[in-house]
Amino acid sequence: MSVIWAIIRKDFQMEFRTKESITAMWIFSLLIFVIFNFTFEISRLLLLQISGGLLWVAFIFSGMLGLNRSFQVEKENGNLRGLSLTPADPGLIYFGKFLSTTFFMLIFEALIFPLFIIFYDIQLSLVTLWIIPISILGTLGFTSLGTILSAVAIHTKQQQILLSLLLWPLITPIIIWAVKTTGDVLSGELSAAFQPVMVRMLVFDVIFTTISYLLFEYVVQE
Amino acid sequence: MTKPYKSQSFYVLAGLLLVLIPVSLYMIFQWVPPIKASNPTEATAQRIFYYHVASAWIGFFAFFIVFLGSVLYLWKKERRWENMAVASAEIGTLFMTIVLVTGPIWAKPTWGIWWTWDARLTSSLVLWLIYVAYLFLRRYLPDGTRRANLSAVVGIIGFIDVPLVWFSIRWWETQHPSAVVAGGDGSLAPEMLKTLLFCVGIFTILYLLLMQRRMQIARLEDSINRHYKEWETLS
Amino acid sequence: MSQPVIVAENLRKEFGRVVALRGVSFQVEAGAFFTIFGRNGAGKSTLLSIISGMASATDGNIRVFGEDPAERTHRHKLSVISHESFLYDNLTALENLSFYGKLYQVADLNDRMHDVLHQVGLHHRRFDLVRTFSRGMVQRLTIARAILHNPDLFLLDEPFTGLDQHATEMLIGLMEALKSQGKTILLTTHDLQIGLRLSSRFMILERQRVVETGSVEGLTEEMLRRKYFSLISSGEAGQ
Ligand SMILES: Nc1ncnc2c1ncn2[C@@H]1O[C@H](COP(=O)(O)OP(=O)(O)OP(=O)(O)O)[C@@H](O)[C@H]1O
Ligand SMILES: [Mg+2]
Repeated sequence: MSVIWAIIRKDFQMEFRTKESITAMWIFSLLIFVIFNFTFEISRLLLLQISGGLLWVAFIFSGMLGLNRSFQVEKENGNLRGLSLTPADPGLIYFGKFLSTTFFMLIFEALIFPLFIIFYDIQLSLVTLWIIPISILGTLGFTSLGTILSAVAIHTKQQQILLSLLLWPLITPIIIWAVKTTGDVLSGELSAAFQPVMVRMLVFDVIFTTISYLLFEYVVQE
Repeated sequence: MTKPYKSQSFYVLAGLLLVLIPVSLYMIFQWVPPIKASNPTEATAQRIFYYHVASAWIGFFAFFIVFLGSVLYLWKKERRWENMAVASAEIGTLFMTIVLVTGPIWAKPTWGIWWTWDARLTSSLVLWLIYVAYLFLRRYLPDGTRRANLSAVVGIIGFIDVPLVWFSIRWWETQHPSAVVAGGDGSLAPEMLKTLLFCVGIFTILYLLLMQRRMQIARLEDSINRHYKEWETLS
Repeated sequence: MSQPVIVAENLRKEFGRVVALRGVSFQVEAGAFFTIFGRNGAGKSTLLSIISGMASATDGNIRVFGEDPAERTHRHKLSVISHESFLYDNLTALENLSFYGKLYQVADLNDRMHDVLHQVGLHHRRFDLVRTFSRGMVQRLTIARAILHNPDLFLLDEPFTGLDQHATEMLIGLMEALKSQGKTILLTTHDLQIGLRLSSRFMILERQRVVETGSVEGLTEEMLRRKYFSLISSGEAGQ
């Protein structure tokens, strides 16, 4: 437990010193919204239908920046190697990095969501609150795989391109589910599929967090 | 040490294919009655279905073998399991490529479009991307235990993702009825089913043959490396 | 009688076609200062990473504190200094130590951190980011990180890199202190003079093999130098 906490604390100390990741992610999302506005001239009705997808495109593209940044610092001075030389269980190291990237993404998502609401004039209601559990489940799915695959990609020179190649196809399910449920929430009306899909997202998160926890040991070995 | 390049099993498998592939072609083009279609091109194009589906099956099977090889490697740390996983990943990707090529050939005369985001095609594309990434990872790393470990990890995660991808995309399709173009089937005529199973059988033999060849190449590479090391030690 | 801390038998390590160790056997007794000499590519770093449990040998046997180092049971007794610092550039010296201290579950961490910072002469810079440190200061902090959890076995891979005269003396003094506390130290270096001055036993690796191992007793620098250059072939690097 103290290992997980030490890693999260360390990542936050670094981030709040430089604020590099969060700022870059936020600006990047802003850019996505702006570019989107010019590339697709669409009606308000259509926009409502695709806004869930737009939000997750912003989340995930920016999330990739955050992941790359989070593992860049573990690569710079061989830190990941240093971590695995300590008595700490590799599985706990995984959890530390996993939770710290998750928290970062959630903070960033909380910062970008109001902007999204303003830009696309989303009608708020009590249903909108469902965006919180959806973001958490979707983000956990993304970071559970993103963390272990970043640690895989870190060992190559083409770290960033390889991470994209590996991660994108694998997170297809969680993206599909997150976009669908977000679409429901933004339209203000939950469909019948809403609840089972939330359960599926949870299952996805549990599966890949467990698998990654078990496999992380092999990722840090030489 | 002096194993022949082509073992007995190679000749048996190759001989079988030599006979069975023409038989399968006969079954597909002559024996199976044409489907009821609005035009003859569509009926002919539909016959690609047998190789298309058989490739998909073998693709899945190959990815399962990647998973198996990866688990066995992490457990036993033996080179041959690594070789098995890689061989199967390459061949599985090849069969998935066949799926992705035959799909549009079938789709164009039938639906008038090359590509449709239909659940099966889309899933195949995503799976293909997963295993292409796996092969890329191996390209980017030098030979050694690290490469073996990392690719085994991706081989395991990738395969666990396969059913989730499949399931989620199917579900996604039902959410977008406009995007669905009816899949032509439902129930298969008995001749169709028999031909399909026959093709799956042939493709399994083809898979085994390719696996046997590919693993032989891996063994030869390892043996060349061993000889090289011995020679370099002496000099 | 001292127990051997490290027992290596016929270690072999391959990276695909490259062979990094070709059957290396040796023992290190508890409390020994053991120096490994060898040219670039001789296999020194590879050997240390197998001892640390980071890498696994392709063949052969390795026991550290009587166990397979890959089992991770003795990690807290072990410390590694390599060409990488393992430090975070955007943390202060103190934060870096505090982070590693927690992973090693160091008791009385606060006092210990100030102690080691004084020892390496960085106490006045403890609130500064590592990013602002010079190469030698980073190396000093690396040493502080390495001694923080008071390990029994040190694996030092060319620790003098980047240190000035003063810091080199400091590190030598520190090693002598560790030696007198009964710590086991494994050092790799190209520097015959320093190696000879510190060590009780030495080993020469050449072309990924052990070509000489012995005690430094009665050995002068001149004798060691002559031995070293007669054993290693001139010209190309070790691979
Ligand atoms: N990760 C690796 N992949 C491939 N080859 C490697 C790897 N690590 C080491 N080698 C090879 O193993 C051999 C021994 O390398 P090692 O780093 O152990 O030498 P060294 O004695 O530490 O050299 P130096 O004095 O330069 O630090 C070299 O030929 C090197 O090329
Ligand atoms: Mg070295």
